Amino acid sequence: MTMEPTGFGLLSVLLALPLMGAVAIALIPEKYSKAIKGAAFVISLAVFAVSLSILGRFQASTYHFQLVEYMPWIQQLGIDYRIGIDGISLWLVLLTTFLNLISVWFSFYVTKRVKTYFVMVMLLLTAMLGVFVSLDLILFYTFFEASLIPMAVLIWIWGGSNRNYAAIKFFIYTFAASIFMLVGMIALAGLNAKITGTWTFDLTAIQANVANGKLWVGALGMESMVFWSFALAFMVKCPMFPFHTWLPDAHTEAPTAGSVILAGVLLKMGTYGFLRFCLPLFPDAVIESVPILMGLAVVGIIYGAIVAAMQPDVKRLVAYSSVAHMGFVMLGIFSLTHSGIVGGAYQQLNHGISTGALFLLVGLLYERIHTRLFADMGGLKAQMPVFAALFLIIMLSSVGLPGLNGFVGEFLAMQGAWEASLVAANGLTLAVPIFAGIGVVLAAVYLLWMFQKVFYGKLNPKLARLKDLKTWEVVMVGCLVLFAFWGGIQPGTFIGPMERSLDATRLMAISEPGQRPLWSDTGLEVKDDGSLVQVLPRQINGDMSHPVELKVLAKGEYHFPIDPEAPETPPPGPGAGRRGARPGNAPGEVKQ
Amino acid sequence: MSRFDSVWWIVFLPFIGSLFQALAGKTIVDGLGVKLGRAVSGALAVLPVAIAFVIGLSLTLSLKSGEVEVKTLFDWIKLQSVNIPFEFRIDSLSMTMVLIVTGIGSLIHMYAVGYMAEDKDFPRFFTYMNLFIAMMLILVLGNNLALTFVGWEGVGLCSYLLIGYWYKDLSNSKAANKAFIVNRIGDWGFTLGMFGVLSLMAANRDKLGITDARWLSYDVILPAADKILGGYQGLVNLITFMLFIGAMGKSAQFPLYIWLPDAMAGPTPVSALIHAATMVTSGVYLLNRMSAWFLHSPTVMGVVALIGAVTALVGALIAFGQTDIKKVLAFSTVSQLGYMFIGCGVGVFYAGIFHVLTHAFFKALLFLGAGAVIHAMAHDQDMRNYGNLRKYLPITFVTMAIAWLAIAGVPFLFAGFWSKEAILGPAVNTGPGPLMLGGYSAGQIAGWVGFAVAFLTACYMTRLMGLTFFNKEERWKLAPALAGHDDHSAHEEHGSHDHTDHAHHDDPYGFFYTEEEWEAKVAGEEHEHHHALGPDHTPHEVSWVMWVPLAILAVGSLGTTGWFLDKNETFLKWLQPGTELAEGHMVAHSVLLTLSLVTSLGGIALGWFLWAKKLPAKEGWDMAKWNSFMRSSNGQFGIDETLAEGSIKLSGGLGAFLAWCDRWLVDGVVNLVGILTKFIGGGVRKSQTGYVRAYALLMQFGVVAFVGYLIYAFIQGAPK
Repeated sequence: MTMEPTGFGLLSVLLALPLMGAVAIALIPEKYSKAIKGAAFVISLAVFAVSLSILGRFQASTYHFQLVEYMPWIQQLGIDYRIGIDGISLWLVLLTTFLNLISVWFSFYVTKRVKTYFVMVMLLLTAMLGVFVSLDLILFYTFFEASLIPMAVLIWIWGGSNRNYAAIKFFIYTFAASIFMLVGMIALAGLNAKITGTWTFDLTAIQANVANGKLWVGALGMESMVFWSFALAFMVKCPMFPFHTWLPDAHTEAPTAGSVILAGVLLKMGTYGFLRFCLPLFPDAVIESVPILMGLAVVGIIYGAIVAAMQPDVKRLVAYSSVAHMGFVMLGIFSLTHSGIVGGAYQQLNHGISTGALFLLVGLLYERIHTRLFADMGGLKAQMPVFAALFLIIMLSSVGLPGLNGFVGEFLAMQGAWEASLVAANGLTLAVPIFAGIGVVLAAVYLLWMFQKVFYGKLNPKLARLKDLKTWEVVMVGCLVLFAFWGGIQPGTFIGPMERSLDATRLMAISEPGQRPLWSDTGLEVKDDGSLVQVLPRQINGDMSHPVELKVLAKGEYHFPIDPEAPETPPPGPGAGRRGARPGNAPGEVKQ
Repeated sequence: MSRFDSVWWIVFLPFIGSLFQALAGKTIVDGLGVKLGRAVSGALAVLPVAIAFVIGLSLTLSLKSGEVEVKTLFDWIKLQSVNIPFEFRIDSLSMTMVLIVTGIGSLIHMYAVGYMAEDKDFPRFFTYMNLFIAMMLILVLGNNLALTFVGWEGVGLCSYLLIGYWYKDLSNSKAANKAFIVNRIGDWGFTLGMFGVLSLMAANRDKLGITDARWLSYDVILPAADKILGGYQGLVNLITFMLFIGAMGKSAQFPLYIWLPDAMAGPTPVSALIHAATMVTSGVYLLNRMSAWFLHSPTVMGVVALIGAVTALVGALIAFGQTDIKKVLAFSTVSQLGYMFIGCGVGVFYAGIFHVLTHAFFKALLFLGAGAVIHAMAHDQDMRNYGNLRKYLPITFVTMAIAWLAIAGVPFLFAGFWSKEAILGPAVNTGPGPLMLGGYSAGQIAGWVGFAVAFLTACYMTRLMGLTFFNKEERWKLAPALAGHDDHSAHEEHGSHDHTDHAHHDDPYGFFYTEEEWEAKVAGEEHEHHHALGPDHTPHEVSWVMWVPLAILAVGSLGTTGWFLDKNETFLKWLQPGTELAEGHMVAHSVLLTLSLVTSLGGIALGWFLWAKKLPAKEGWDMAKWNSFMRSSNGQFGIDETLAEGSIKLSGGLGAFLAWCDRWLVDGVVNLVGILTKFIGGGVRKSQTGYVRAYALLMQFGVVAFVGYLIYAFIQGAPK
């Protein structure tokens, strides 16, 4: 896609603000720790405000990237500064700025090397936001790796007793996995260059060649290789079983704010990567790998839950619960059904809110009693009723109680998995949703145990004189509780803007070449019923709300047909079934 | 503005009540003083439920027979593929349930104001209670399976919170956990069943002409049953069975009943409201609501009837051996729920709800009566320590006696007879079905088991009444076992007020109370006082707030209720538009009537003979002298032990194993790779930073290999 440089816009402001904030904080002398904390808070507030204005400008009616900015960077290699957002990244950006604000707020309690701490937090913020807005592969990779350093430093300096080991393990493990992605990216760009004759790492340009079938036709082996090089990086990041073991150590040893960010945002980079890169770029490989990834997701759900139940340390328990919960995200995404993919994407946000809040609550307790072991807790409910009430609500959101946010995502993700499994689409079986459902039961087991061990029973005498939370702490946690309710009662607020982009992403993965939506062609749009239509081309960053529909290119279908004659018989065989049993774009007029 | 708009207030009122108790309850109690404050706070808890009842009544009276009205408040989960609005359904079934929930609910709330008057956490109790009512109403009013599920889990939560209400006793919170988790097993089935309905509806949307994606709404799925289910026998069996698992969990059917007896750890009004009258009947409600679908799966219907029969039998047998008055009632609830499922399983869904209704009266009454007894007996729940209480608690005795005769099924005069008859009559006349055992259909077997259980019920309930109210012995005066007998430690609030040195020198943020603040706080707290049961104890009749509900429930337990609803098939005609009635029942009336007479009066006579005079020596305080049946009945025939402890042991073992694997295998490989590469690299250093190089080396190997392969593949198979 040729495009004139746009200059810097709102998204660049978003990226630059924390960077400049880091510089500003670095200039404040260490002894004015209150000023440092205040500055960090103000900057975080400003970044959050900018992200809100992005939300205000966002148009939910299109799947195309918005607020796109393009500046040439290393043109010889085809690497550019190209950023933009769509419905998938929009909420992750907001989640990031919001959780960052909460973390900085909590970090009032930090006393050790305050300046360095907040500089790291600000650098981390830029890196995380960069990951979610990058539209250039190398730019994405840069931010993806850049986020590791401040986080590793946060663990390494401000962490718990075993922080050394945890920080190094976290860094090496995730770094090693993403090296494969870098290689994959280069291979991908190289293959693309073979077709087009120019090197580019522009996501939209490469996706265009995938969508029209030039890139991967007759090269499934190659496609799978590159896919797995991406997938490995994202699987480690999510994390998926069996690549999760860095996570309990990192979560447990990280300082509270680090844990909140780690669980709330960093893990989402993995699932976001699957949505942003794997589905659109490697459609055939994705469909081939559905049984493996869904299988691992289900194993992760059950395994994470069971191992969580055995932990003597509250932070470790929550960490393992993340393994289980992220399994639901993967379950939804790789069901490749509409409900499933929406549920998976939505569950990302919910996990950010509820697990972030759990780590925050645990952190508040840790500041007081300096222990994470259940053995040292117990009976706190009478002593801290408000704390207990907030904890209960968040715990229930994590359990997936209807009316709170966790339920909606889990429900949709599992429904998607069920729907695909019922007709054995992509080689799935009903065992997938059935076992995933057992994971929901197990979630109640370990979370209820956790609550019981902390709050019920006789009061540990050492904690007898503990006061309840301070007012500002209640307000801080209250913000998260508010979103837990909001997300559970009015999920439409969040699902609405992302649905169109998710729809397009799904179609990019499941449709035949030529019927796939293109990011680079603003003359394409996905309609409410999931069909791909040709519209009058529109300006990038222009008004996308009222497309003039020209013709339907491929008819959409959200649900699988179920054969009334033999409902239990398994699916049509691999040859006929691979595309046949999938609801997606029914053959229509093929473009190009 | 239609005449049904006020339906929202039925749910809002208790919900607002709950919020109010949570936010302002403590302020009121502290501000107005303990006595007045609790009275005001209690009145404000009863009022929303009572008003909701009045609204429900007015809606019911204006509802025409067969009328169905759907009201939508807002979009809840709205996708392009699924649309689940927040919508209520007003029809005969939902309104019947609303009246039961709010009617019985407000009486029990009123009773609880008296029962809980001395509890420190009074507002917290009513926060949960009002929330429960709101959730239960969402359950019965919701117009789609998902909304029903909201209420379904919501009542489960309230049940969890109320069972663990006295949380300082860890066994209570364990019972609460057990209830929630076992219920979740049921919810697992519910969810999968719901998904099944959704997929099936969505797949047939063209045939049904659905355009708004409301795949779960009852006004869409119920009429669709006859149109589309014909060809999907296997899937329909699966869906209905999954939904039935959901119903089993909530309604405590065998083998998922194991949570209910433990749930008695909650305060007695909770047991009456949640674990007898309302929540546990929601499974019956679900079967009724989805009856159009269940009727398409005769196999699952047969299973429902059989499970109902097994539950009824097992519950009754275990009830014999219990010494705790609440446990007897808990198992009798399990047993009665079995009856309701028999009714649903043989196709007389309306009779299931009929029994829900009469059972709500007499079982709530029994629990509240038991609560009055427990209240009068210094919170001792052991029937072996009672005796001759009719002398001290006349009102409680008379009202409970009515409930006793009702549950025993004494013909005509008491409500239980009518609903039991409505279930068992059709059951024994069931025609052949897909499930046949020895020439009898599942329904027939269930029906005959039901009659046997009726006999057992009359018998063990007479045992309860005999040991508690009759007998000349006033056994608390001679109870040898009372020494060191203190079940009530859960109430004890003091004890943690130790005076060890708590000076927290290192407390820069003021996380802890200082010495002075602490003294002030402790001084301001009331100390609860409980006297123990002893020889000089004199039981007293309860106050009017507690016996008025008893009296009202007693009137409802009389035969007039049943007779009124049964004559001219009033109740059947009222519910039938909402639920489906299987056809072809020819009742041999005189035989059944004789059977009812024999089972109820015979059971009472046997019970009277065995337990009315005195506590049999073989059932005394010394459990070692008990006969073997009573002993194993007391031990619940090992079912609970096997299931609960077995699963805990199994999952504990599995958990320990997996935790070990995670540490030493999954993570072990990671660390081993690090260590090995460290050796290969020759860097043998103690410091853990050695890993850095190790990992880096590994990384290099990996990358080199990978790039090599890529280049190879690139040359071999790259696209042109």
